[in-house]
Amino acid sequence: MIAVAERTERARTERAVDRLRGGLATAIHGGFFRVTVGLTALFLYFPVVVTAYLSLSPASQPSIPLDGATLRWYGAVLTDARFVRGLVTSTAIGAVTAVAGTGLGLLAARTVVRARLQGWVRLGVALVVALPLFVPTVVVALGIGVAAGRLGLGFGLGPVLAGHLYWVLPFSTFLIASRYANLDDRLGEAARDLGADGVTAFRTVTLPLLWPALVASVLFCFALSFNEFLITFFLAGSGVTTMPLEIYGKVRIGATSFLNAASVLVLLLSGAVATAAASLEPPT
Amino acid sequence: MSGATDRLRRRVGRVRTQRGPALVDAGLAALPTLLAVSLGVVPLVLLFVESVSPPVTIENYAALGGSVYPEIMIRSLGIGVAVTLVCLTVAYPVTYWLAHRCPGRYRLPVLVSFTLPLWLNYVVLNYTWVWILASDGVVNAVLTGLGVVDRPLDLLRTASAVGVGPLELPGLSLGLGFVHIYLPYVLLTMYVSMERLDYRQVEAARDLGAGDLRVFLDVVVPETYAGAVAGALIVYARIAGAFATPQILAAPAEQMIAQIITTQFYDVLDYPFAAALSVAFLAVVLAGFGIGALSTDVRAALKRW
Repeated sequence: MIAVAERTERARTERAVDRLRGGLATAIHGGFFRVTVGLTALFLYFPVVVTAYLSLSPASQPSIPLDGATLRWYGAVLTDARFVRGLVTSTAIGAVTAVAGTGLGLLAARTVVRARLQGWVRLGVALVVALPLFVPTVVVALGIGVAAGRLGLGFGLGPVLAGHLYWVLPFSTFLIASRYANLDDRLGEAARDLGADGVTAFRTVTLPLLWPALVASVLFCFALSFNEFLITFFLAGSGVTTMPLEIYGKVRIGATSFLNAASVLVLLLSGAVATAAASLEPPT
Repeated sequence: MSGATDRLRRRVGRVRTQRGPALVDAGLAALPTLLAVSLGVVPLVLLFVESVSPPVTIENYAALGGSVYPEIMIRSLGIGVAVTLVCLTVAYPVTYWLAHRCPGRYRLPVLVSFTLPLWLNYVVLNYTWVWILASDGVVNAVLTGLGVVDRPLDLLRTASAVGVGPLELPGLSLGLGFVHIYLPYVLLTMYVSMERLDYRQVEAARDLGAGDLRVFLDVVVPETYAGAVAGALIVYARIAGAFATPQILAAPAEQMIAQIITTQFYDVLDYPFAAALSVAFLAVVLAGFGIGALSTDVRAALKRW
């Protein structure tokens, strides 16, 4: 009798110890994951915060800690003729690329997901479109640069636009394709059974359902084009300057408060656009 | 009877209309395909033609052999591998937490904030490290302020000097700059796989007495292999072929292949040699992919992804 009671008592203690050990493991565990996640977030955003802080420096070369705070460098960036020109050019190229890239992406997505074509044709289109994701960007850029030079197309706005369109195409295609693939095929068929022709069915059924993905694609393509550096670097020639080219030129000369303010402006602008896009069509 | 006739009639109708839609679909497919071919495939072919010109010669490739370029290429690839591995090491715990531990309502905001840098300017992101690591930067200001060091450390643009032969690890500033840009890509692809990992498998393994390491090696790694492969595939070639990051953050001794290619194109104006360099580089990168694709494991994993 006593032995049994003792045994139950011991079992209970053991269970309690086990539970405690389990709880401790979970705590260490949770701690490990939380610390890693926290450090990753810190790693991604701490440099940006530092740059934003240093952009408030009164002197053109910030000293740490700052002696005072001012927004004068933001004023200087927004009145600098070269930077403003770069900003305007980048915005214009970004807007055209965003709309045209999304249109082309819609066509490509439709081909990959829905076209009544043979399987190998659709796979081929997907592969050709995805090419710039896997070929090193410097090879893509040099290829287009050499082609533009050798075929006598020259450099400047046209080639830059074409290069940007090519660069954003895989992103818009796969973003739209993932939503397209989830659409119920029978909706289009139903519209057709009710007498709509292909174009009407697409316009009144498919397009509205794709709308969030299309808007997200426009915004993402804008952000990609606005920030694109290497292809522009190879294709711009001497006449065209974009925001990233301007910043790169200044970085090579040296780090200053002016550059910090310009960097923060660029990050804020493209960050806002990308956040808006992600809230429409979250990643994955 | 009439049902069968109807069915037959419908099938005939479908066959009759099949050719029209196929033509329309082909027409719609033509535009993006044309762009992708004329700016993707044609330039690569031209690049190859350029690399064996004038008329037909292998001189440009021969010039590659006896120079410092193979060493630079190997260094670039080595840095690509090292940075990819670091990104994967960070991405595993982070995406595991995000997919299986993170409270539901925080999941999307955290994911978005981790992938936001994908859409930011990498020249600017790289530049932000300059002020952290420079001799009058934040880290050195803190260290000298606390009296930990007497003189500022050389953190910016200093080669690591760790490595075997031409295979080197990137220096601190170069490595941090690369991980900062490419980690979000790996986080995104890994998250897709991690989300598909059925958590009950982890629980089942735990119930059967598996420790953390066992669970990680026998359940988490095989189940999320596809995401790791996809992530590595996307970032590895980009890191090895990066231009702006080494320009901003690398030591002079850490020159990478894209810097050489750009110099040949921009300053030396030697198109054939630049073309030969990039074709050789592309061949090496593709060979790496090819070796990967030969493994049936990787193929199966990619198909699943």
